Amino acid sequence: MNLQQPQHREGDRSEAVIDLDRLVLMANQIADFFAPYPPLRRHEGIRNHLRTYWDPRMRKALLDHIDHGGEGLNADVVAGANLLKQADTEQKGYYGPPKA
Amino acid sequence: MWAELRELREGRDLGTPPRDGVEVALTIDGVPVKVPSGSSVMLAAAMAGRPIPKLCATDTLEPFGSCRVCLVEVEGRKGYPASCTMLAEEGMAVRTDTDKLRSLRKGVLELYLSDFPGADLEGGWSEFHDTLKQCGVDCHPYGSGANHLASPVDASNPYFLFDPAKCIVCSRCVRACEEIQGTFALTIDGRGFESKVAAGQDQPFFESECVSCGACVLSCPSQALIEKSLFEEEYRHG
Amino acid sequence: MANPVKPESNVVTTCAYCGVGCGFKAETYKGRVVRMIPWKEGKANHGHGCVKGRFAFDYYNHPDRVRTPMIRRSIDEPWQAVSWETAIQHAASEFRRIQNQYGKRSIGAVSSSRCTNEEIFLVQKLARAVMGNNNIDNCARICHSPTQFGLSATVGWGAASQHFDSILKADVILVVGVNPTEGHPVFGSLMKRRIREGAKLIVIDPRRTELVASPHCRATLHLALRPGTNVAVLDSISHVVVREKLYNEAFVRERCEWPEFENWAALVGDDRYSPDVIGPLAGLDPEDIRRAARLYAGGPNSAIYYGLGVTEHSQGSTGVMCLGNLSLACGMLGREGVGVNPMRGQGNVQGGSCLGSWPHVFSGYRFVTDPEVRGSFERDWGVALDDEPGLRLPNMFDAALTGHFRGMYIMGEDPVQSDPNQKHVIAAMRNMECVVLQDLFLNETAKYAHVFLPGSSSLEKEGTFTNAERRVNRVRKVIEPLAGYQDWEIVVMLMNAMGYPAKYGHAGEILDEIARLSPAYKGMSFPLLERIGSAQWPCDENAPEGTEVLHTVKFPRANGRGTFMLTEYVPTTERTNDQFPLLLTTGRILSQYNVGTQTRRTANSLWHPEDVLEISAEDAAARGIQDGDWVSITSRFGATRLRAILSARVNPGVVYTTFHHAKSKANVLTSDQSDWATNCPEYKVTAVEVVRVQPVVENMAADTAEQPAEEAFA
Repeated sequence: MNLQQPQHREGDRSEAVIDLDRLVLMANQIADFFAPYPPLRRHEGIRNHLRTYWDPRMRKALLDHIDHGGEGLNADVVAGANLLKQADTEQKGYYGPPKA
Repeated sequence: MWAELRELREGRDLGTPPRDGVEVALTIDGVPVKVPSGSSVMLAAAMAGRPIPKLCATDTLEPFGSCRVCLVEVEGRKGYPASCTMLAEEGMAVRTDTDKLRSLRKGVLELYLSDFPGADLEGGWSEFHDTLKQCGVDCHPYGSGANHLASPVDASNPYFLFDPAKCIVCSRCVRACEEIQGTFALTIDGRGFESKVAAGQDQPFFESECVSCGACVLSCPSQALIEKSLFEEEYRHG
Repeated sequence: MANPVKPESNVVTTCAYCGVGCGFKAETYKGRVVRMIPWKEGKANHGHGCVKGRFAFDYYNHPDRVRTPMIRRSIDEPWQAVSWETAIQHAASEFRRIQNQYGKRSIGAVSSSRCTNEEIFLVQKLARAVMGNNNIDNCARICHSPTQFGLSATVGWGAASQHFDSILKADVILVVGVNPTEGHPVFGSLMKRRIREGAKLIVIDPRRTELVASPHCRATLHLALRPGTNVAVLDSISHVVVREKLYNEAFVRERCEWPEFENWAALVGDDRYSPDVIGPLAGLDPEDIRRAARLYAGGPNSAIYYGLGVTEHSQGSTGVMCLGNLSLACGMLGREGVGVNPMRGQGNVQGGSCLGSWPHVFSGYRFVTDPEVRGSFERDWGVALDDEPGLRLPNMFDAALTGHFRGMYIMGEDPVQSDPNQKHVIAAMRNMECVVLQDLFLNETAKYAHVFLPGSSSLEKEGTFTNAERRVNRVRKVIEPLAGYQDWEIVVMLMNAMGYPAKYGHAGEILDEIARLSPAYKGMSFPLLERIGSAQWPCDENAPEGTEVLHTVKFPRANGRGTFMLTEYVPTTERTNDQFPLLLTTGRILSQYNVGTQTRRTANSLWHPEDVLEISAEDAAARGIQDGDWVSITSRFGATRLRAILSARVNPGVVYTTFHHAKSKANVLTSDQSDWATNCPEYKVTAVEVVRVQPVVENMAADTAEQPAEEAFA
């Protein structure tokens, strides 16, 4: 019986403010909406949505997950979330519904 | 017509719905008044501060002309038309309160009163009671003939009851169900003395398609349809 | 004697039930409310009412009303009646303890669309100014949050574009996923009146509602689509509009962003949204999709009315955008008789949405991340405010499960019964250290609460409601609060106990603060409403008595133009398979209101004593189910039992129930799938299997819902 491994996984998860599977699902749904837009608008749309509507702890959990390989995430989510790291985005913040 | 209902005011009953039209000028008992064309003489009289006694008319329902209480005289014309169904016209001179009209109204109201529970005349506070008072009618000469006092009360709905003894068959409930609620659950069944308000296929209210919106209760002028919550004890005939 | 008692006095107020917001005269006799008379001057109802507002008011005086505050250390202990001071102090100190231990963002607040604007505004102030975070949400999260999102994105404001009476100028009425004759009866009557006058009616709904076919109302077209295919069908209607050039090019060029129209037209104009493709997918005749498009675009005045059948999907916000796109493309906005109008389930959903009960916006839909807006609140409230969005209601529960969220103040809501995936919600509630519930009754959520603050019914307080047509109506105190305080006074006590010096002489001062801080409400005040009865926002110096029709000149967006969103159809992951072959969808019935906390405590239950499952004859026969049989309904998330009735209102493959009774446990079944943009739950689509079972013994059929909580109190 190996207790170590599951304990380790549980520990990882408790750091995320909400269950990681749910977070990944939510993020991928956002990417699905923006899919018909051209790449730049698609990624900015995802970034703006995360910045405006997600609790900072949820954004952090998503970025942490991306830093750990981003398993299960749509590639557009990764591209959009990475835009959050740009200093000016984080400071200025975008607000509003998706801009077309 | 509903949009014009926005002009309705709680404190007064114009008798028929307000209309939207070109103004016409007329006089009511010598009082000049202007109303939109399409308005009834009854509405014009209410606007002129000369409200005409009525039973089957109210300003949330289309005019019906059945109660024969709102009769008027028009200068230069014969007869005694019902003011609810007669349209106001330019130059009309209307009389609402002549000896002849008073006598005609009294006769009609005495007939209504002869088939109304006598014990409920005192202490009642419905529109019917108000109209009787307005026309100075407090008794009738007919003795006790055939009446509806023994008709069973329909108390099937949890919130209101229907007492046929107090019903004056003015059709306001039927029209409210059609025009305001749009459910068409009520009809007048039978003719003459036999005519009565019936829900669905002459079913108890609760078992009919009635949706219990209360429009009929609100429109009833004689408290034949009345909220149960206004009775401290169990309802029984007067 | 047969003469009724004559009420001694009356007060004009606003019905607390659905989003129509009818005006009523509440009549009293010997200190009791004895009658509710529809107010002739009420601009939403013109003297009409329904079985709820007109008659079902006696719940206020029900023996179940809690009249004293109660606390307990743990949810396994019985309640203890305590003084107001003790209860408030306990709640305040517990919230502060939790924040000290787990951080500022570890607690939050939830308000309800059954509360007044003033109460809703105060609860968000409690979260932002006193708790110091943006963990504030309201029950519109689980019904109309996609409306705010989808309409803001396209036409600029998440609100009905019209007043109710506008429908009397409509030539074509498009009803999508709403059942107004049951859910909004007084407006339903107005709609039926217009249909009798000759307006054409198109209904998009999986179920044959009363509007579709009844003795005095018939739809020109009924698109009985498969639940979950809204976006596909609406895109397909737009496809026809684009391909057949039925759009209003002049309107789009003058009032909208033309390049975005072209992008949208390219998307929906693609062959994949052809009726010949979407028809079979949605279970529709392609010709009906074409007819609907031609009818709507032809107008001349076409008006859209929609409800939770659009919003409560994984693509809820996209569905609302589809309606925004369609009305813009056809030029059906900005005058009487047209528009896009969400029908609101509860009396103050619009107010809840307007007044900042959201984790990301202040009142007037202005973002917490916007330093200028935040600054105006900081100056008025005298505290620094959190500049990051907070947690949404479902995310609060998610965070409770991971231990990041430990305390919650809930006003007038019952999330355990009303929120999806009940097991998940209960587990989250159990994980919290302090749940403060303010309500009239010990509801399902009370089982998991630590502090109970007895609230006041709408007959017992001053304030305003904003109805589904943006109309701000006065709520007036008819009788004294049974438990001693109006709800807003209780919130003030809690704010004070937590160290924030809020002080209001009466509810009108809260409306003054709302007006000061929210542009659309700028002109609102008790004196104005006293004078003119009611006013529709926006109400300001340009429209001192309010605004009936929106978007007449420009759209409330930065450039004044409406825009088009790309609304690709993304099927929900909640799908049927061999194990769960039927789709369950849900709705309302006339006599009951939402989770039934109020109406189940009135004689209205005579009409609807239990929720039942509607199933088509084909599906019933295949399972050996007869009319009236008890059945078990199983989804991927749970199981419950209901009585089945065979119904021609649903197509084979679809089953339907209402959600008014706690014992039905409809939300044991519902999934945790939610709208991509707002997390509004996907109540309208759950894959299930239905199996005939032995009749339930009588005591199980009794309403056991609230009994455990009450026994605990006794």
